Amino acid sequence: MSGRPLRAMMLACVLGLTSACVTSTVDESVYNEPTAGIGDASVVIVGRRHASDYETEPDFVKCVGGHIASGDKSITVINELEFLNALYPWFEPRTAPLHPKDVERLLAQPPVAQKLAALKVEYLIWLDGSTVRKGGSGSMACSLGGCFGFGTWTHDADYEAVIWDFTDKAEVGHVNTTATGQSYMPAVIVPIPIIAPVQGTACDAIGVQLLQFLSSEH
Amino acid sequence: MDSDFTNHEIFDEAKSQKESSWVVNTGEAQVQMWHTLLAGMFRKVVHLDSALGPGSTNPSVDAVLIPHVEELQYAIPSHTQVKVYEIWMRYRFELVSADGAPIAEWTMSSYGKTPTALLQTNQEAVNLAAVMALRDAGAHFATTFTKQPAVRAWLQERGVKTLEPRQ
Repeated sequence: MSGRPLRAMMLACVLGLTSACVTSTVDESVYNEPTAGIGDASVVIVGRRHASDYETEPDFVKCVGGHIASGDKSITVINELEFLNALYPWFEPRTAPLHPKDVERLLAQPPVAQKLAALKVEYLIWLDGSTVRKGGSGSMACSLGGCFGFGTWTHDADYEAVIWDFTDKAEVGHVNTTATGQSYMPAVIVPIPIIAPVQGTACDAIGVQLLQFLSSEH
Repeated sequence: MDSDFTNHEIFDEAKSQKESSWVVNTGEAQVQMWHTLLAGMFRKVVHLDSALGPGSTNPSVDAVLIPHVEELQYAIPSHTQVKVYEIWMRYRFELVSADGAPIAEWTMSSYGKTPTALLQTNQEAVNLAAVMALRDAGAHFATTFTKQPAVRAWLQERGVKTLEPRQ
């Protein structure tokens, strides 16, 4: 056996050992899909930050945007912070439109309409949700000789993407995804974290559905 | 903007050995944010280091806006048992005419929060919560300035047409 396949097998074994399983479900409902794609228009993905006890993570918003942009190079995804700064103060938690009809009110203000036209925003996707760590069990003791023990914990992700069409000022779809995964950390001298990629799985799940909606190639 | 505003900070001394003392200094960030916001809201902005003295007039301006940070509170998970870092601020604004006569005075609150999952250290999280609170302050001010009855009356007196956002 040559060195390269052996190294690949070892890498696969290490990857298999160092990632735990994740279960995810996706629920999608979309209408008025742009069957020919969105042309040279752009999409912006913004996190909802109204809830008092959680906040949609900016990294998750970036991940979903990256998934769409890398899946179809013709789609322009505007960076969330760039969009929020360009439209400041109209998309802050205090002022952001809660319903598609509120977009009319925003567009009635010439500076807002001009900025949105310059950015060529066709679709606004609101992402709402978070990934939380739930519970944990096990114990671990560490000394100069190393660590011994076992720990386990669960991460739950729950996100919803709501798609607004800026041309029709209407909601044209929503995608829900939930993901759950258990991570482990056995320790025999050295602790080995086996992390369940819960948020990444939720990002991929929601990204695939949004890509199918926006892209003519998927 | 007077020195109390531009150097605003609060010091919260630790009450036990388990706690840490905190200094929350927002002065520099306040100045930057308000300079940027006001420059976008008004045709011309002139920065004054202190309020107009009695009997003095500044002919280069129509009015003088004097911001004050009346109160700043912060909360971290070890205080509240909730996994969120929060900053809450209360401002008081005075709008006076070029010769120092009062036009309007009002208070306004702002709030910013950051969940613990986002950041590694307490300092980073409180810092981001302060940024969010400052953004919120700017958004609140920009969307409610012309709704202050005394400000609205003064603007109407001068024939200034204002946009009417329905919030």
